[in-house]
Amino acid sequence: MIISSAKPFEEILELLKEEDDIFILGCNACAAKLHVGGELEVIRMQQRLEEAGKRVVGWVVPGAACSVASFDALVEKNPAIKEAKAILVMACGSGVSTVSRVAEVPVYPSNNTNSLGGRSQGEVIPELCAMCGNCTVYYFGGICPRGQCPKQLINGPCGGSKDGKCEVDQDKDCVWELIYLRLERIGRLDLLERIWDPNGIPD
Amino acid sequence: MPRTFKEKLLSDDFLVTAEITPPKGTDLNEALEDAEILRGLADAFNVTDNQRAVMRMSPLAVSKALLDKGHEVIMQLTCRDRNRLALQSDVLAAYSLGVRNISVMSGDHTTKGDHPRARPVFDIDSVQLLGAIRKMKEGFDLSGNEIGGMPDLTVGAVSNTDLSKPMQLLKLRKKIKMGAEFIQTQAVYDTGQFQTFMEHIVDMDIPVIAGVIPLKSAKMARFMNGNIPGINVPPEMIELMENAEDPAWEGLSICAQTIRELKGLCRGVHVMPIGSHSRTPELLEMAGIRKDN
Ligand code: SF4
Ligand code: SF4
Repeated sequence: MIISSAKPFEEILELLKEEDDIFILGCNACAAKLHVGGELEVIRMQQRLEEAGKRVVGWVVPGAACSVASFDALVEKNPAIKEAKAILVMACGSGVSTVSRVAEVPVYPSNNTNSLGGRSQGEVIPELCAMCGNCTVYYFGGICPRGQCPKQLINGPCGGSKDGKCEVDQDKDCVWELIYLRLERIGRLDLLERIWDPNGIPD
Repeated sequence: MPRTFKEKLLSDDFLVTAEITPPKGTDLNEALEDAEILRGLADAFNVTDNQRAVMRMSPLAVSKALLDKGHEVIMQLTCRDRNRLALQSDVLAAYSLGVRNISVMSGDHTTKGDHPRARPVFDIDSVQLLGAIRKMKEGFDLSGNEIGGMPDLTVGAVSNTDLSKPMQLLKLRKKIKMGAEFIQTQAVYDTGQFQTFMEHIVDMDIPVIAGVIPLKSAKMARFMNGNIPGINVPPEMIELMENAEDPAWEGLSICAQTIRELKGLCRGVHVMPIGSHSRTPELLEMAGIRKDN
């Protein structure tokens, strides 16, 4: 899932400074699961905007903000949009961009888009994949160093980890530590011997 | 005729390399003076490349200035600041200006330095850069275009000596496979631990030049233990530093003892002083190292 997080409300107000008659569009996919674009958050946003003196003409939470057929289709399902002079999209940048392509009015993001992550047993994992276009995650025990190592090192760790923690963030495990443990557990340490060429192709 | 670093690497000499930090600014005098102190003592100077992600003059310019003064250099090259085009282009530039030794490393992350918002590159890693340079030595760039070759280039890499990190050893193996001809290490304090490391990699058959940093105070020792990966100052040393009347001298003396012990274990030492090399000659003399070639 795409990991996005809510911008501070003050920043959203600043973005909408010149705007009124706002339509709010949430997203029932990733953003809803992360509680930054589901129905509850959309309604809460409407309240806060109205408290701040804005008129909200309507809202909708489509299945996914990143999948919109056309502006007409959008209006057909949500006639209130016709009155809107601006749309606030509570989704990732992909959702904002998709809506911007079809909408006739300015479109604003309420979220910051961070990474491609996931959610496992209730825990949100912010970074999993860097979308490199050539998935080789299997060779790393399913733990992608491109997605999770800040230096994107695929031939092994830098010398910067300390006590198993990443040089860049002492609260995070060095991903190479995790890869090693995982491959050891599944008996495939041999996968680590591969030398990856600059195009990400194994020897 | 003085021998090259490469020739010395292939001999049985105990080598001394020393770190030179490029200036934060355009004045080369300090760096040149620092190197001058070690003329006849150091076999080559490692010129650092935006070390700890702190912006400084390009090691290429400093290397050239040192070469002009008749010194031998090992130009460092990190993968943090340049993509594969820029890395190869700097290797070509360095070779054409007379640089004959290059040492490659990933580099500290930009968030650790003085421009924390700088975009880190890491387009290729140190293993891949070694492979690229090997190819360049044979006359081809990374895409297979002919470039004429760089037959006299000697390439090194760095390594951790911490055996508790199996991945580091695996990576060291990869570096050697991809053409590393010598290794320089993080500062060694615990020579027993270093000896175990050397025994462990004996099959890799590569000259290892062990890093040393003279301690200046007990505080510095504790700081390094807590903050610098791969450094392990034993408690006895910290205690010695703590009780020393002249901690800087004590630090030199401890370091000299370390160098003496390292003489039997590896192919050389790499001196990384904090600050200038003003006391490095004293250190080397205490360690019984005299050179004049
Ligand atoms: S290799 Fe890593 S970054 Fe590339 S697609 Fe697979 S998980 Fe994503
Ligand atoms: S410490 Fe590990 S995860 Fe962090 S940058 Fe280095 S190799 Fe990558």
